[in-house]
Amino acid sequence: MSEPTFDDIFDELIDVNEELQGFLATLDSLLPEASTLLLSEADVLLAGAHPLALSPVARERLAGEARKASGFVAGKADNGACCQAVYLAKLSAVLIISSAVAPEDDWLSGAASVSLLRNTLDLALYRQEREMLVADHEQSVRQINLLQQQHDKLIKDNYRQYRLNQDREKEYARKLESEIAKQTAELREANARLEEISRLKSDFLANMSHELRTPMNAIIGFSELLSEASLTEEQLDYARTISQSAASLLTLINDILDLAKIEAGKLELEYLPFDLAELVGNVAAMFKIPAREKGVAVSCQIDSRIPKRIMGDSNRLRQILINLAGNAMKFTEQGGIDILIDYDREAAGQIVSRFAVRDSGIGIPADRVEAIFEKFIQADGSTTRKYGGTGLGLAICLQLVELMGGRLMVASEVGRGSTFSFVIPLAEAPAEIISVKEPRDACHEKTGGGRILLVEDNAVNQRLASILITRQGYEVEVASDGAESLEHLRNQAFDLVLMDVQMPNMDGMEATRRIRAIEADPALRQDYVGLRARQQPLAIVGLTAHARKEDEDACYEAGMNGFLTKPIVKAKLALILSERMPA
Amino acid sequence: MSSAKDILKKFTELKTLPHVAIKVTQLVNDERSTMHDFEEIIKLDPVLVTRLLRLVNSPYFGLSQKVGSIAKAVVFTGMTQLRNLVAVESLRGMFKGDDADFSAQKLWLHSATVAILSGMIAKRIFGKDSEDVFLAGIIHDIGLIVENQVAGEPLREACKAFREGQGPLVECERKAIGTDHAEVGYLLAKDWGLPQEVLDSIKSHHLSRQIKDISSTGSILQLAEFMAGKMQYWPIAGPLEALPSELTEHVKGKMADYKIIIRDLPGEMTKAKELYESDE
Repeated sequence: MSEPTFDDIFDELIDVNEELQGFLATLDSLLPEASTLLLSEADVLLAGAHPLALSPVARERLAGEARKASGFVAGKADNGACCQAVYLAKLSAVLIISSAVAPEDDWLSGAASVSLLRNTLDLALYRQEREMLVADHEQSVRQINLLQQQHDKLIKDNYRQYRLNQDREKEYARKLESEIAKQTAELREANARLEEISRLKSDFLANMSHELRTPMNAIIGFSELLSEASLTEEQLDYARTISQSAASLLTLINDILDLAKIEAGKLELEYLPFDLAELVGNVAAMFKIPAREKGVAVSCQIDSRIPKRIMGDSNRLRQILINLAGNAMKFTEQGGIDILIDYDREAAGQIVSRFAVRDSGIGIPADRVEAIFEKFIQADGSTTRKYGGTGLGLAICLQLVELMGGRLMVASEVGRGSTFSFVIPLAEAPAEIISVKEPRDACHEKTGGGRILLVEDNAVNQRLASILITRQGYEVEVASDGAESLEHLRNQAFDLVLMDVQMPNMDGMEATRRIRAIEADPALRQDYVGLRARQQPLAIVGLTAHARKEDEDACYEAGMNGFLTKPIVKAKLALILSERMPA
Repeated sequence: MSSAKDILKKFTELKTLPHVAIKVTQLVNDERSTMHDFEEIIKLDPVLVTRLLRLVNSPYFGLSQKVGSIAKAVVFTGMTQLRNLVAVESLRGMFKGDDADFSAQKLWLHSATVAILSGMIAKRIFGKDSEDVFLAGIIHDIGLIVENQVAGEPLREACKAFREGQGPLVECERKAIGTDHAEVGYLLAKDWGLPQEVLDSIKSHHLSRQIKDISSTGSILQLAEFMAGKMQYWPIAGPLEALPSELTEHVKGKMADYKIIIRDLPGEMTKAKELYESDE
């Protein structure tokens, strides 16, 4: 099937005569002086601007000859001028032309002018092809321009999209940031809430410990008193058992309180000078009796490069060492326990030292090493029963060592023993600071004389403290709260007041502040027998279950001169009374 | 007798308009759309992605490098071109079926021919963008497909009446069905959200009327439709409608130009084979 042509599609547009006339018009423009005649297939006669005069007979004859011939056929016009006829296959028509360009002689001699005429005719004939070429070119130009435009448009559009994408990315980043900020705020809030809950829990625990300490106070005190009474051997054994059990219960309560304090971030370390060798010696001495019973050797060794007197919290360091040595003792059946303090290095003016407690006990399986530092956990679940203990000790040691700037580590081999160690910096104590004496176990029994006012709301504690005070050789009067203590002072004179801090109605702080206020006011003083004759302020010693630094500070701030923690320990009571009571 | 709306309603109950094609058309009209939005929509249909990339890489576009992603296709051909290709792919499936009275397959070839011819006229004669006229060409006879689906018998009656010389096709349709494919196609394209000029050209492609703007999408479509009909790219046998006189005059004044277009059409059709040839 051949492709359809323009003529097939637009057949009604095709006008043959129009095409012939177009050819003649082109010829006229090329050869303005020429006379022409054009005879179509359908015998339509057309002429250019100068119609050639030719009789119909001559014309028909000439046209007939031209159709048969392959080139030009010569003839004569009516005016005798020479003319040429030629068949134009492209137009299916015969052209008869007379032109001065090619005179008769030239046709005979075949001069160049004849070729010129031929070429001119060809030129006119290919007018359409030329138009096609021009149109073709124009179409190409239009398409190229269009492509250029499209290209520009694409570039613009791509740039627009690029900008949009950038904006979107920025927007996305902004959203992401605000989302992160939002979530961070939420997390922070949740964290704060958790911390608050944790704090409340610690507070509760601290308060519970206080509530536990109050009856403990009585149990320890009275069982001690009981041991000193004249008892049968059997009764004495019972009393000692109560005493020992109460002591271990108190240790447990203290551990819980310590842990609660640490977790609430309320534990502060002291920074005071002390004698390290003496401290380590005391710890070792504590284990002499159980060591002898078990047949285990206890030794301690301190590197000579470590200064004798150092700064720090001796009580907490002792607590750590007792704990570690106690554990070692608990899990060691033969061999020995060594407390070693080695010089590690010197850094920033401090002596970095390595503390180690080494034993030859049962050891800890590798997969349980992590767990032993957890609260309430021991290496072997069954050891809790076999060896006793709460599992709080190591957790407390771990935290205390961290507070001191070290890290508690353990190396252990099952059946060979364990070594617990930590490295902490120690500062040498300045020489001029005079040591604060460790409270010695001196017996001050029945040394003094004088009147003491005991202010205490709990009836059991009233009795216990009264007995302890009386045994120290003092007289004692009891008031049940702050208000009552003021009443006593109005009527009687005392040498010292033992003031419980927490009491109903008027607490110890308030009562102390009132007493100090009365002392400062000469007019008021006159009404108080216990205050008006005094040269110096009345000695007031606080009694509190809370052993925190801030509790102590609060006591001094209220105007107290001293401070005792409950449960009252006989030795400490004796010491403070001997210091505070007038000689 | 049914109205164009009834016909279209029945049709959309049978078939949904291609969702992707509608979304893509919206994107073309949206100043804030990007190639990524195109990609997001088109990639939901992996078959479509493959087909589009095949079209974009066909000789019809003559890209100098191979395009491997929809986003890149947008970059190289523009959003409107891609919209047209999505339309081609969405419609291709509807032009299926062949019988003595009505051949949807032949109608597809006709539509493709009109689209390609329209594009050539727009570019070569008027030097204007060919995207919209191409789309008009592809979609202008969709009304016949709709009628074939929901009113097959009356449509065949109309085709028969037209073949027997009982009047123009649209008139025979109106007698047998109650509406004509130009009206139905117009409504469908409107639902599609195509540009107004494309809608108008679909509505008027069988109208004998006075043409004011020869270079409008409607008149180019009508001219291409006439030329394709003359070339026998026309599935429904019957007398051809005459060209409006303004268009005849226009062609007469640019005979050389149209000769070239007719001369070059077979080559263009070959290059665009991927567009209209069915997969089988």
